Amino acid sequence: MSDATSSAVLELVRDAADVYRDDPTASRALKGYALRLEEPLRVAVAGMVKAGKSTLLNAIIGEQIAPTDAGECTRIVTWYRYGDTPRVTLHPTVGKPRALSVARVDGQLTFDLGTTRAEDVKRLVVHWPVKSLREFTLIDTPGIASLSEDVSVRSTRFLTPETSPSGADAIVYVMRHLHAADLNFLRSFRDNTVGEAGTVNALAVLSRADEIGAGRIDSLLSARDIAERYRRDDSLRALALGVVPLAGLLAQSARDLRQTEFAALVELARLDRNERERLMISVDRFVRFTDVTTVSSEARVALLNRFGLFGIRLAMVLIRSGVTDSTALAHELARRSGLNELLNLVSAHFQGRAALLKSRAAIIGVEALLRARPRVGTERLAASLERIQANAHEFRELRMLATVRTSGLGLAASLAAEAERLIGGQGVTPQRRLGLADEAPDAQLRESAMTHLRRWRALAEDPLTDRATAEICHVVVRSCEALLAAHVKGSAGRVTARLVLGPEPPSRPGEHTHD
Amino acid sequence: MVDLVKLVARGIELVSAGDRQDLRQRLEQTLRRLLDPSIRVIVVGEFKQGKSQFINALVNAPVCPVDDDIATSVPTVVRHGEPPSAVILIPKVGAESANGEPALERRPIKIEDLAAHVSEKGNPGNRHRLVAAEVFLPRKVLAGGLSLIDSPGVGGLDSAHSLTTLAALPTADAMLLVSDASQEYTAPEIQFLRQAMRVSPNVACVLSKTDMYPQWRQVAEANRGHLDRVARDIPLFPVSSDLRLHAARLQDSELNAESGFPALVAYLRTDILGQTERLQRRSVAQDLLSSTEHLRLALQSELSSLTDPEGRPQMIAELEAAKDRADELRRRSARWQITLSDGVSDLIADMEYDLRDRMRSIQRDAEQAIDEADPGPMWDELVIWLEKRVAAAVSDTFIWTSERAQWLAAQVAEHFTQDEVPLPVLHVADTEEVLDPVHSVSVLNPGRLGPIQKIFIGMRGSYGGVLMFGLLTGIVGMSLINPISIGAGVLIGSKVYKDEKEARLRRRQGEAKTIVRSHIDDVIFQVGKQLKDRLRLVQRGTRDHFSEIADEHHRSLGNSVLAAQKAATTYNVEREQRIQYIKTELVRIGDLRKQAQALQPMPAAAGSM
Repeated sequence: MSDATSSAVLELVRDAADVYRDDPTASRALKGYALRLEEPLRVAVAGMVKAGKSTLLNAIIGEQIAPTDAGECTRIVTWYRYGDTPRVTLHPTVGKPRALSVARVDGQLTFDLGTTRAEDVKRLVVHWPVKSLREFTLIDTPGIASLSEDVSVRSTRFLTPETSPSGADAIVYVMRHLHAADLNFLRSFRDNTVGEAGTVNALAVLSRADEIGAGRIDSLLSARDIAERYRRDDSLRALALGVVPLAGLLAQSARDLRQTEFAALVELARLDRNERERLMISVDRFVRFTDVTTVSSEARVALLNRFGLFGIRLAMVLIRSGVTDSTALAHELARRSGLNELLNLVSAHFQGRAALLKSRAAIIGVEALLRARPRVGTERLAASLERIQANAHEFRELRMLATVRTSGLGLAASLAAEAERLIGGQGVTPQRRLGLADEAPDAQLRESAMTHLRRWRALAEDPLTDRATAEICHVVVRSCEALLAAHVKGSAGRVTARLVLGPEPPSRPGEHTHD
Repeated sequence: MVDLVKLVARGIELVSAGDRQDLRQRLEQTLRRLLDPSIRVIVVGEFKQGKSQFINALVNAPVCPVDDDIATSVPTVVRHGEPPSAVILIPKVGAESANGEPALERRPIKIEDLAAHVSEKGNPGNRHRLVAAEVFLPRKVLAGGLSLIDSPGVGGLDSAHSLTTLAALPTADAMLLVSDASQEYTAPEIQFLRQAMRVSPNVACVLSKTDMYPQWRQVAEANRGHLDRVARDIPLFPVSSDLRLHAARLQDSELNAESGFPALVAYLRTDILGQTERLQRRSVAQDLLSSTEHLRLALQSELSSLTDPEGRPQMIAELEAAKDRADELRRRSARWQITLSDGVSDLIADMEYDLRDRMRSIQRDAEQAIDEADPGPMWDELVIWLEKRVAAAVSDTFIWTSERAQWLAAQVAEHFTQDEVPLPVLHVADTEEVLDPVHSVSVLNPGRLGPIQKIFIGMRGSYGGVLMFGLLTGIVGMSLINPISIGAGVLIGSKVYKDEKEARLRRRQGEAKTIVRSHIDDVIFQVGKQLKDRLRLVQRGTRDHFSEIADEHHRSLGNSVLAAQKAATTYNVEREQRIQYIKTELVRIGDLRKQAQALQPMPAAAGSM
């Protein structure tokens, strides 16, 4: 995102605040948008009940702080943001926010609401001194399709409000299998944030991947196949940027594997094969009293709660195949859980576009405000809003990305895939756009960008190319140029680019808004 | 079961001695029902809850395919049979059986090949259009007529799955809702449960995969709470299919007990099988009692007339009066007939209103959606949404109509105040294939303009502009094509282009609305017709059912009157013989009646079977 666009958006919000200075509701909303532009990106974790949202959140944070339980657990929208000291604040729907005491049981936070009822709480905000929260504000939401409907409503109201931009800039959508409810929710999240500038800003996570194959040791491989099928599924493709399988419990617990747990796992792994199998046949058998091992029943219950039957099985296999210390085991478990892959995707899609996604929220907010309460001076605002939307190349990329995902570009399959990659469909780093390895040297980047640029420019100028395709080509060419501009110091790249680009197509009124 | 069969056989023998073809037919039908019992238990649940594995564990054989991804795409029926075998049911192309339903072809296949036919892998989205598959296994669990139906998961990507499952429910005797122990019930599951309970009252819940989730007891408790809020006494069985399969392999009875299956099997045998058996015994007893009662009446009147000649005229008069009452029931103007025909026409009117009302609200929503945006690009999505809403609304109407039809039948039965009158079996709620005659929604022109079209539209406008301004500027001596006229051309051209675009959008919206409207019309027309047909069938079925009962009464009373009159003309010698004969006959009938009565007040444990 170019700084020029960012500051233009900030400017727009400030101007709007000026116009609406005497309207307290509008002012408050606008102040919120301005603040939001400066804060870290807001990523919400959403999904059906018990899909593993809080577990995933813990895994991303790297500490087991969000409460998790066998029953339905998260009932209030909870924000996790960075703070130097741990602090919990309750924001009621009416009245002033108040601080709650920071109480932890087994590491997990417990929220004592006191006399306040859950329905009267707008949100809980947890400030926590963890590095990963510096880049994102993570938002834990209650599950959709819950039996207690008011709980689900709280989520939908926060993520897909009727009249204002969504409370989250992007979502990580957690699902166990693709249900109709999942699709409906993702669709309404997209349609809500779409406005005129449609985009896709959700990642789907196939959670509890370790349970897919009845906890067999090859479960994660099956999960990978299923994720691959969903990735190709057209209805989901239009709604999510990617699908990754994740063994959430494993990811969460592997990040803080304790020495005592490691010792217990080693002892269990060294048991005789028959005894081991007898122990692992069911969870009830695993925790039942037995004299074959010195690991106490309580310790086994704790292991089971932390790692699940699959995690224990996997750890035992790893230990027997030669992993000797707890760090290596933790590392290996985390690697297999699929967490790295998810974090990579999050950073590729969300972090790289953070400024853009935040600006979008502000733009949609201002747009809604202008539509709902027009007054003197709003025409000027509307004009500058349209200018920002039309000029920023990043918005055009996002719009095109949405088109690729929803209705297709009308290009040959290989070309369409390449176009999608170049405009950032696989992530916004130059390496990802060009389809190169993450550590590719600059020279290679430059060369590859140049090749792409030439090919697309040739296609754009081909007289047989129809107008729609030519427009796509122009966007792609711009993306390639931006890549080159970022990597070529001096003006050589830019000059050639401008020389060959040719005249802009004559702009006709009304076209930009209708494309 | 054997004693019941013997009883009915004796009943038939007794009845055939007299000249009562009608009673004989009724008892023969009872016998047929007895000899081929079939208790259908349908296993339902969202996908990936372990339904197929549950059935496999129950019968201890890998009959239903299990996979990490979605596995079952065709309903599979598992029932008793020796030797093990499997068939698939395919609709015969072009052939229709007498009642208009497509005829099915039963094609035997190897039991090992079953997976290739019913799994999502071998037959994605049921490409081969199988109706069902049947597997026969020699298993003790299945003896006694239990058949298990493995259904594709509900709540899947398309709700057509859940519709087929609901459609299959009215023909099932019981339903097992499977949900795994990873989490408590979700809103769609409970919604499905509520809907299913309206169609099939025998519902039990199974909590599967307890071997994998340490917190399954907590989940079971939470589920118990949810179930209690739906209805009381829905049993919940935590089970582990894998444990049961392990147990079978290791011959470990302790492990089997841990799997939770023994309780479930006991439930199936005592509650489901037991209950249907109790029902069956009751209906057999009912049939025997009423047939013997009819027989006894004639013989008894003849006997009294023979032994007590003085009381004869009074008896004949009483019998005549009773016969008149029975005649009254047979007449078209009888009260029950009126109730029935009025009820059916009310029902048809209500049903039409209900259907129309539901369809109109769908139409309103669709039109609103069309008005809000360009229907071109989102047409496919809209069509899917429309079809889903229509299917859901139609199934609601069907369930509701079926409930009302049952109620009507009960209402008619009230007119037959004599002993409990069995209700006719009604099937209206079956929604399978109702939507088949409805044409699929037509294709909407997506409204993408080709480049040539765009240029053409633009040119049309700019041509006029160039000409107009060219002529004007010609006055001051400029040529026809000059910068001003070209500028005006571009301006007007783009304006025309924009207008044209808007006009096309509006036209497309209008077109989309027309398509939706005509589709809804089509649905109302076709579904309304089918519903009406079915209600007429219900009316006819109910009428025949009750006329038969009225006929039986009439014939019995008529026979009694005849017998009593005949007795008067009988000679003394013959009379002694006749009295003797009637007495022995009456003793036999009395015997049978006693046995039939013994069947009726049910001992709680019908254990021996």
